Amino acid sequence: MKIEFRIKRYNPDDGGSPEPYLQAYMVDVTEGMTVLEALLKISEEQDPTLAFRKSCRSAICGSCAMTVNGTARLTCNLQVLPEVEKMGSMTIEPLHNHRPVKDLVVDMTPFWNKIEKISPYLMPSSTSGSNAVTAEAEELIDQSQRCVMCGVCNAECSSLEIDERYAAPAALAKAWRFVGDVRDGSVVKRLERLSEEHGMWDCVRCVRCTQYCPKGVSPLKQIERLRSEAMKAGILDNHGAKHVEAMAGSVEKFGRLDEAAMTFKTLGFLKSLGKIPLGIRMELHGKMPHPYIVAQIEAIEEVREIYKEAGKKAGLKEKKKE
Amino acid sequence: MVKELKYAYYPGCVSQHMTKEANDTTRKVASILGIGLHDMPKASCCGAGLLTDYDYPLYLAINARIFAEAESMGMDILTICSTCLMVMSTANRDLLADPKLLAETNEVLAKAGLRYNGTIKIKQLLWVLASDYGLDNLKKKVVKPLSWLKAAPFYGCHSLRPSDALGFDDPDKPRSLDALIEALGAESVDFRGKARCCGFQVDIVAEQTALNMTGRRLLEGKEQGANCFVTPCPFCHVNLDNYQGLAEKAVGEKIQMPIFHLSQLVGLSLGMSPAELGLGRHLVSPEKILEGC
Repeated sequence: MKIEFRIKRYNPDDGGSPEPYLQAYMVDVTEGMTVLEALLKISEEQDPTLAFRKSCRSAICGSCAMTVNGTARLTCNLQVLPEVEKMGSMTIEPLHNHRPVKDLVVDMTPFWNKIEKISPYLMPSSTSGSNAVTAEAEELIDQSQRCVMCGVCNAECSSLEIDERYAAPAALAKAWRFVGDVRDGSVVKRLERLSEEHGMWDCVRCVRCTQYCPKGVSPLKQIERLRSEAMKAGILDNHGAKHVEAMAGSVEKFGRLDEAAMTFKTLGFLKSLGKIPLGIRMELHGKMPHPYIVAQIEAIEEVREIYKEAGKKAGLKEKKKE
Repeated sequence: MVKELKYAYYPGCVSQHMTKEANDTTRKVASILGIGLHDMPKASCCGAGLLTDYDYPLYLAINARIFAEAESMGMDILTICSTCLMVMSTANRDLLADPKLLAETNEVLAKAGLRYNGTIKIKQLLWVLASDYGLDNLKKKVVKPLSWLKAAPFYGCHSLRPSDALGFDDPDKPRSLDALIEALGAESVDFRGKARCCGFQVDIVAEQTALNMTGRRLLEGKEQGANCFVTPCPFCHVNLDNYQGLAEKAVGEKIQMPIFHLSQLVGLSLGMSPAELGLGRHLVSPEKILEGC
């Protein structure tokens, strides 16, 4: 079956057309053919100048991630025909959120810098005597170990699209690999660094990383684990942790979200003053939530019992006081 | 003959205060369409994702308590908040996938004299209209087709992802909101940002990221010729409408895009007045665009 491939071409060294453009290729696609196989076919039979990365063809090396019909995918485990049937077309571009180098090849340097920044190696404690890792302890970091560093999650990350300094999902999932490892001796130091600006609290929870990760790493889940762990370690002096504490407190107290108190408790009094102009506009439209007058839900004592019991199990309250 | 539809109604915290107009309109629309909404007076906040960060077992138990109330009512949950939808559906997915986790969560619930048996589903208004009620039935109720509207469907992240917990629409190519807009007689405008993020979760934590994201989404719709946005999520509404002025400053462009809640768009086509829809509560006035009707 003949399928039209529309491929983003870009060659900064080409004096004639340095601007990216789409080029169409007709490819004879057979059943089961992957997008990567089709690219190889184009390269071998039609256009040897087409640049793209690939290696293992088995979804293990992570080299061949590209944007297919708008979302980042590993091209070696995506079949052409079902994709075309679903999306109605076949457009291939380089990964988003990365600088194109040539055609479908992007510069991965910022990606690796972010990984490097989380110290992606075990730092065992000098005092710990035992290195035993139980099956249960391994299970906690199992998902994060499946990462093949393909860059799909970062390419799909909504926060990274806005803020290039953001740590982004790949490095954060990798950070959990070490924070969650019972042998690591620098957990608190790691969590403190991750709690800094442009760190783990800047995730917008758009769930794109988890949706599109080809290896089931579920970066968002690992970010949630990092956040829980940081709070349990008492790293609370940042907007992200304060925001979560305000929410947890509000639900325990009222059973509901106290919208206005969220801002005050997260930002503190002084920074909340900056919200006054918007607050006045909202008040004029009847939209301004008033703090601390939220009506309690019925049977709030059930919620408090649950907090007490869950708190006991997690050692939540005790640890925080330390 | 439409079968009787009734749901345990979970408007979510934000639509009980800041976006009250979404809750009020939903109740009126449901009453016109004959959809039964039954209040859940005991239901707490789902945690909006933040409780998940705080402590995962606590998050599961708080949500299981909400499900237990719906179970005792014998109804599935209908919410008008995409974040509640995602947060509750994810908890339900995890609880149903792992009997051990459900048992542990029930141990916590037992302290409050409660139990969740794992029998309920969580739906949002968009799904109920598109599927349980049916667009053909909805079309029959339209008294004022919205032919002058070019509406950008803003699905919001939490209506679509993670699809293994939600699974109603395809996050790669969502159609349900487009189809609903078309059923009401309006034109649905395809644009890059339709399945992308408004930034709400970091409004307070990383304001500039949030405002730039909101601004970008609005511009993406505007550039494709939309004269309004419609969203099934009140959090998206807060960013797209309340924060639009600040987002304009962040991206350095005037946008002036009216934003409708899903229920308001339906209500408009059912003949409800702007006052009944609570449109005066919006910070970006939809007045101009309603002149054409």
